[in-house]
Amino acid sequence: MYKRKNQTTPQGETARILVEFMEVAITSIVFLKGVYSPGAFERRRYMNVVAHKARHPQLRDYIHHSLTALLPSIEKGLVERVAVVFFNKENIQVEKFVFKLTVNQSYDSEVEQTDLEFSLKSFLTKLSVSESLTKVLPRDCRWQIMSYFHSLPQFTESTGAEFWIPTDIQQWQQPPLITPIKSMSSEPLGVQLYLEHPSLSGLQP
Amino acid sequence: MNSRSKRTLNSNSTNKSTNKKKKTNQKTLGVAWTAANSRSAFKSSPFSDTASYMAVKNQKLHEQFDAAASTSVQEELSSGKPIFHGVSIFVDGFTIPSSQELKGYMLKYGGRFENYFSRHRVTHIICSNLPDSKMKNLRSFSAGLPVLKPTWVLDSVAAKKLLSWHSYQLDQLATETEGQPKLSTFFPLKRSPFSCNYATNVIGQPMSKIEDQKPKLDAVVTKNLYGEGQIIKELEHCSNVSDLPLKVDPVVNKNSRGKSEYVEEIKHTNVETDSSLNRSLSKAKDEDIRFNDLKPCEPNTSETGEPNTSEPGDGTSDGILAGSKLKSGSPGQPSTSNSRYREDKQKISESSILRAGMGPSHSTLEDPNFVENYFKHSRLHFIGTWRNRYRKRFPATYSGIKGTNSSHHTCVTDEKATIIHVDMDCFFVSVIIRNHPELQDKPVAVCHSDNPRGTAEISSANYPARAYGVRAGIFVRDAKSICPDLVIVPYNFEAYEEVADQFYDILHKHCNKVQAVSCDEAFLDVSDSEVEDHQHLASIIRNEVFDTTGCKASVGISGNMLMARLATRTAKPDGQFYIPADKVEEYLNELPIKALPGIGHVLEDKLKRTNVKTCKQLRLLSKESLQKEFGLKTGDMLWNYSRGIDNRSVGVFQESKSIGAEVNWGVRFNNLEHCQQFLLNLCKEVSLRLQGGGVQGRTFTLKVKKRKNDARDPVKYMGCGDCENLSHSITVPMATDDVDALQRITIKLFDLFHIDVKEIRGMGLQVSKLGNADNSHQGNQNNSLRSWLVSAPNTNKDQCEVRSIAEGSCERDVKNQNACGNLGQSCTNTFVGGDISSSEGHANEDSVLPALCDLDMGVIENLPPDLFSELNNRYGGKLITFLSKHKGKRAESDIGGMIFEDRETLFSSVVPLRPCKAEKKGAVKEAEAAAASGVVAATIDSLFSENDDVMPYSLSQIDVSVLHQLPEEMRADILELLPAHRKHECVSDLGPAKSCSQQSFDSNNSKDLSGPRESISSNDFWLGNPPTWVEDFKKSGFLVLSVFADSYYKSGSTGQLSSILQRAMSDFVPSLDSTPDCLDDAILCLCNLFKQYIKLKIETDIEEIYLCFRLLKRLSRKSTFFLEAYTIILPEIQATVGEKYGGNFFA
Repeated sequence: MYKRKNQTTPQGETARILVEFMEVAITSIVFLKGVYSPGAFERRRYMNVVAHKARHPQLRDYIHHSLTALLPSIEKGLVERVAVVFFNKENIQVEKFVFKLTVNQSYDSEVEQTDLEFSLKSFLTKLSVSESLTKVLPRDCRWQIMSYFHSLPQFTESTGAEFWIPTDIQQWQQPPLITPIKSMSSEPLGVQLYLEHPSLSGLQP
Repeated sequence: MNSRSKRTLNSNSTNKSTNKKKKTNQKTLGVAWTAANSRSAFKSSPFSDTASYMAVKNQKLHEQFDAAASTSVQEELSSGKPIFHGVSIFVDGFTIPSSQELKGYMLKYGGRFENYFSRHRVTHIICSNLPDSKMKNLRSFSAGLPVLKPTWVLDSVAAKKLLSWHSYQLDQLATETEGQPKLSTFFPLKRSPFSCNYATNVIGQPMSKIEDQKPKLDAVVTKNLYGEGQIIKELEHCSNVSDLPLKVDPVVNKNSRGKSEYVEEIKHTNVETDSSLNRSLSKAKDEDIRFNDLKPCEPNTSETGEPNTSEPGDGTSDGILAGSKLKSGSPGQPSTSNSRYREDKQKISESSILRAGMGPSHSTLEDPNFVENYFKHSRLHFIGTWRNRYRKRFPATYSGIKGTNSSHHTCVTDEKATIIHVDMDCFFVSVIIRNHPELQDKPVAVCHSDNPRGTAEISSANYPARAYGVRAGIFVRDAKSICPDLVIVPYNFEAYEEVADQFYDILHKHCNKVQAVSCDEAFLDVSDSEVEDHQHLASIIRNEVFDTTGCKASVGISGNMLMARLATRTAKPDGQFYIPADKVEEYLNELPIKALPGIGHVLEDKLKRTNVKTCKQLRLLSKESLQKEFGLKTGDMLWNYSRGIDNRSVGVFQESKSIGAEVNWGVRFNNLEHCQQFLLNLCKEVSLRLQGGGVQGRTFTLKVKKRKNDARDPVKYMGCGDCENLSHSITVPMATDDVDALQRITIKLFDLFHIDVKEIRGMGLQVSKLGNADNSHQGNQNNSLRSWLVSAPNTNKDQCEVRSIAEGSCERDVKNQNACGNLGQSCTNTFVGGDISSSEGHANEDSVLPALCDLDMGVIENLPPDLFSELNNRYGGKLITFLSKHKGKRAESDIGGMIFEDRETLFSSVVPLRPCKAEKKGAVKEAEAAAASGVVAATIDSLFSENDDVMPYSLSQIDVSVLHQLPEEMRADILELLPAHRKHECVSDLGPAKSCSQQSFDSNNSKDLSGPRESISSNDFWLGNPPTWVEDFKKSGFLVLSVFADSYYKSGSTGQLSSILQRAMSDFVPSLDSTPDCLDDAILCLCNLFKQYIKLKIETDIEEIYLCFRLLKRLSRKSTFFLEAYTIILPEIQATVGEKYGGNFFA
């Protein structure tokens, strides 16, 4: 642990913690939205709060790999948002859970994992009670993890972003309605989780 | 004797030696060891298989060791001589060199190495460090074996001989015994299972070896063992018992060659035997035997009988014990101690004559009965308490005399009046030696210790001794140097009492007007006596006294008390003298002024300076000049006395003005518990004295002698040394002699000192404002109401609000006291306040019931019904009505009990810190302290009125630092309660305590003051803590805005707009809307505030913005003001969010 800390930059450490957290958070979101049957998850504790873990290896791996692949980019502060997008058969977005990330690139002192975890924990807590904010999803809904980069990433071997493909999901024509769920901001890291729904006018098409 | 002393453990005992010795040790030591040491638990373990396993294992280890040893010895025969023969070490814990290396050394040099500790086999414990637990319980850990550093082994090997282990004792142990010896080192716990005897343990062996010699010599040998100190040490180390006789022999030889001082003294009485022992002991001390080596001698003395020269074996060892005790009682050099305390201070230790049945008690540390024993052995205490005894014995005569007093008073100066003064000759000595005719003509002095080198003071000497110049008050060693033959005898208080009683029986038989001056001195008024010849009467009395008591008395007869007393002076010793009225002047002419009672050193010196040495010369001075020079009373006295005039009448028994007890010797404490235990004992003693005197007191003074910072070890052994005298006193409304009450008061008083208990060298408790105990019938009350009310505050704080406040005020007063030095008064105040509850229950007329409004209804309500009705009766039924009224009031009050209590506790913590500050502020301090107590008064009042009064009137009464430490909610709570105009006072007060960001705020603030208008639109609303807008909004002159600013504080000063809005939501009253003037400006301000907030938070916290947005929306439904603001702000928010997040809030 110590060595690892010494080897990595504060950003690397932050990104590691963040990715780990998001893995749990995204799993929780998926569970929350009920895309899969509850039996696909098992209850676990993460940072001392109840979280869910996907039992199906494919689901688990999908979340894990996509985020791990994102790690270098997050560390470099290239990733602006990571979204969990639920869309219907027509590839139209229905609901988006957006993590807006701010990794402070100029932060250079040691990252206190416990401090970050304490803040991140509140996301999980808040998430578990945010179902009422969300919409009921139509049947045959699908979902994916989508990431927004500040600029188009260089797809090289090293970044690990090669697993990422451009999305073919249809974007909303109108600016969405935003419902913040939770925000945190600390020196090394700022995370904001909010919901995006299509604006009332944008629902029409 | 031997076996008893051997069962004791001693760090110096050497258990190696012969089989025989080992055996005895095993048998007896075993008790202590197995009981105390859990490490040996396996031995007594119920699992026999473990025990047998260990036994076998040990056996095997030994075999291995032996095998290894035999080979190594063969190998190293040339180099290693068996220096460790008989030594068996046990290595405990980590050492350098390692235990294996040490084992190697042992193998090489003929020692043994034990893998498992066994007190049978191990002789030395080797370790580098000991854990605390083992240090504390060293004996049970080491079984009395020496605990040494490993270097002992190395150095011994290097020196090629077994070195004395003394200097190799573990540092932790060694340092403990260095420095000023503590009492604990001398006297182990009384009930300690290790009542140890060092002396006999070592001596036992040689004694048996020389048994065939004369018993007398036995004693000498043992004594010389002490005298030669060194030998003891060698005895300890020597591993071979065969060495012992060798070592002893030279001593014996020396002795037979005639160490005259010892031989001589052996022939003397046992008393002198002891003194010789003392001498040798002192020598031993000179030889640098450690104190703790001697300490074990103590406890045995209580078990041993009276030593007798005819049984030298027992007697002498006892003598040694006694001697060592005496010695430890008083080594040292002349003391400079205050003569007032001189006697009292001395702890009377018993010498051999009285030793039987007397327990040792030198320690405030370990001896729970120290105080009791201290006073039991104090002569001054005997004299002091004797009066009570006398009063009880002759109550009728006492009161009778008092009754006739007034009528008698007129005839005192009557020509016919005759007063007889009877005084026993050197009472304290003659009582002791009356049964020792052989001592009659020898110089004898009484002292509690007869160590010839001691610093104990002689308390009384007989006439032969006085001829040598031995006087009361000089040190024993000085007395011994002027008069080497001086015999020193200890007190015998029972005998004194007996003789004094006999003495007074005789006096009362012959005269009904007796005034007791002391236990051995009295005035008789024989004016009305049928016996015409007073001289004859006097001689009858003298003879009778001598016949009955065996002690001589001298008598002086004259016309008044003064002259009678002076006559006695001439009459002494053993005579009588009559001064007829016409001879008075003649007698006085040549009398040195010093002889007059009431003239002490100071007065004498003063008079001598004016060349007045005799009464004749004194008579030349006019009354006026004397009064001018020495004061009205003293001048009057001098004038009268020089003329032989004394108007006092016989029979006036001086009532004592105060009663108390003081201990200034042997007082050392390790911790607060010790000290409090001591205080308790002191209280018990004082209580006993009060009860003995049949009085109760109201003023309590606790005196503490605190070692001065630069004071060295006291000259007098265990004395108080150079001390600072501190005292605190308290007056309670209710006189008491109750131990519990005393203790409570004393502990309170003691807390005022804030003193390190280790620095305390003496303590005394004095009770004054005495009153007769008879008219207060507190017996049963004690157990009912009062004690309940008093103890309740301590146990149940919730119930007793008044009490806690009162306590608070006590504290404060205490601090005032420190600050202003206004001792007496504030103390009185304190206790009048503090003991409201304690005085309540008393039927005594002295006690005043507290006013109804002073009662804490919380307490009253919770009283058990019977107590309540009792109390109600005392108030004549008013209590019930008051209570119901109070209840009604309480129901009305808006603020619930919880908040109320919170606030209250808050205040008791906020306010008391004030006086501390006051101390620093010099001149203003008194005023401020007064203000502070004013606050408390207000607080108390407010308990019964509207709760808002709890607040102090001004912030100057609140300690800002305390305020600052409070949780924000509480702080807001307080601030809310402050009158509005006080608030920023507080805010700016709070400021300095905050971080540097505050600085910028301050400067901003001052800027803003110049132009409040422009500040409203300033761009840094959210800077600082509290943010600048709060201040600006307050000053804006818009009611809405200032309410909004208030919400900031109420919301907990978190700086979160959402929480402020939330708070504003509950606070906001629509009526505020109806001030349309310049509303636009206000709205603008609010919008600015929002805009800046959004700008601040949009990047990091849309959650918060969303919350604010929602809250503002809700507010807008309630108020047009906020609605307007909302309509302005909404597009702003949406635009910003859209810009940053590409979306909008759901409007």
